[in-house]
Amino acid sequence: MGGVGAMVKGASYSYAVFCGSFLRSPRLSFSIHNKKEKLLKFRSFSSKSTCSSLQPPDVSRLAKTAQISLTPDEVDEFAPKIQQVIDWFGQLQDVDLQSVEPSIRAETENNLRYNVPETFDHRDAMIGAVPSYEEPYIKVPRVLSMD
Amino acid sequence: MILTLQTPRPLSRLPRFLPFSTNASITLNQADSLDRRIAAGEDVGPLAGVLVAVKDNICTADMPSTGGSRILEGYRPPFDATAVKRAKELGAIVVGKTNLDEFGMGSTTEGSAFQVTANPWDLSRVPGGSSGGSAAAVSARQCVVSLGSDTGGSVRQPASFCGVVGLKPTYGRVSRFGLMAYASSLDTIGCFGSSVADAGILLHAISGHDRFDATSSNQDVPNFLSHFVSASSFESKPLKGLRVGLIRETIGDGVDAGVISAIHSAASHFEELGCSVNEVSLPSFSLGLPAYYILASSESSSNLSRYDGIRYGNQVYADELDSLYGSSRANGFGSEVKMRILMGTYALSAGYYDAYYKRAQQVRTIIRNSFTEALNQNDILISPAAPSPAYKIGEKKNDPLAMYAGDIMTVNVNLAGLPALVLPCGFVEGGTAGLPIGLQMIGAAFGEEELLRVGHIFEQTLENCRFVPPIIAEDIAS
Repeated sequence: MGGVGAMVKGASYSYAVFCGSFLRSPRLSFSIHNKKEKLLKFRSFSSKSTCSSLQPPDVSRLAKTAQISLTPDEVDEFAPKIQQVIDWFGQLQDVDLQSVEPSIRAETENNLRYNVPETFDHRDAMIGAVPSYEEPYIKVPRVLSMD
Repeated sequence: MILTLQTPRPLSRLPRFLPFSTNASITLNQADSLDRRIAAGEDVGPLAGVLVAVKDNICTADMPSTGGSRILEGYRPPFDATAVKRAKELGAIVVGKTNLDEFGMGSTTEGSAFQVTANPWDLSRVPGGSSGGSAAAVSARQCVVSLGSDTGGSVRQPASFCGVVGLKPTYGRVSRFGLMAYASSLDTIGCFGSSVADAGILLHAISGHDRFDATSSNQDVPNFLSHFVSASSFESKPLKGLRVGLIRETIGDGVDAGVISAIHSAASHFEELGCSVNEVSLPSFSLGLPAYYILASSESSSNLSRYDGIRYGNQVYADELDSLYGSSRANGFGSEVKMRILMGTYALSAGYYDAYYKRAQQVRTIIRNSFTEALNQNDILISPAAPSPAYKIGEKKNDPLAMYAGDIMTVNVNLAGLPALVLPCGFVEGGTAGLPIGLQMIGAAFGEEELLRVGHIFEQTLENCRFVPPIIAEDIAS
């Protein structure tokens, strides 16, 4: 008898279900899908920017900053969607947040470890993942400085 | 140990649901190695022989880990994530990597660069996201349990859509080492199972402090497993005295009537078990959604800057370095990822930090405080996991805000860093035999033990519901 290996290889095995549930016809109720739209309208997704002092997103410029080479078609496709989402972000401007401390994350303890170097055992695997490697350098094309 | 032993579906069934990439020889090697350990009389651990699927944004050294992205197509990490390592140490067999929205960004799994995953309840619908593959694989009984990640609901919403149990632990309960970072202040690794007990056993295996994750907590991990007892041993009102708070803002406008009805039925079930159920209001509940997307896109714009085609990942060569970065990233990232990086870049631009990121962090404080207050007066809070059942494939593809709106039930829990358990509680009309609806239960920080105890009792006493997708039930019958 093979045990686990045999089970995984697809030998016949018994089907056991933890006690408690039994087959009955499921309860059905109706779902009304047009109610979903209310969630969006309720949150005032107007196309006007709610913060006039901030420039609207310049997608080409953002793409340069983020080092992603967008095609002109992509810029055209993304710009209205990004604008719509940034406008939606703007609703936070209307909230009174005076004297509220910002939270970096949920509360966790400060769990730093000692700053002692350790050897990583799988250096070869790491190096193996590098697309262009010439021992001991990771090879990159020339860096052209731009304004 | 109590495990729901489900017959794993033969791997040849996979093309129907496409949740997976697998390597049969790796899986068989793990199984054979486990057989040898058993034969040698070794203590093999509570997950011995359990087939576990792992979301593809969690690193596995012996299987490619793509994050659902072309930029990491074929990438082999040099290490296992801590959660994977711990599961394997306890005998688990990793059967494959599951499909996801690219880098965890999405709520349908349609954002995968590789394939669409269907919902086992209705193949024309999505399994949810971003851990859609992990949820579908458990729902289709292709594995016993699976690992996913939850940054804004990515374990809980697919659990609801696929009729399985999804468990998001407290931030810091499970090490994030080896989880490809999306939003570092929000990311958690979570568990799927077809029962509360199974999901809880997996969570117990992977929880605990890890020195490789500076945000992982030193808090002790209690023995969750002691609560997974047989229903026959329950008292008549096994949850007597438990105070349950139903979040008022989650059962109003914008939520399907069928979902609200299922949640009210769940509340009645809690009352039958001896609980007192009251409505509770969480002020500023609706602000969590824009705050979440500001924080998540900002943090992701920083986290995804590492994918530059230099040290790993797919490179598009250019003569000059900036062009190499630009082309590699343009070629490797999908549209949703690009858009979120751009939105995050905007929100973090000089002069804009105060307007967006800082304000979102302040909203996080308000939301945390409102949950703390509500959990002082209630032992657990309940809500739906999503405002609707599973969408049709393609329904949300071109409308980002419509897709984001579906996360309203889940994001606040990530902002507050709290644990939450989703379990199937009812059905609405749709598919061939109805579509499952999940109940979300939210607990106090590091209160997974209580959530699992309560969830197990709720599940084991729920009548008239069996959460096996019809096509799977046919397979089992035949």
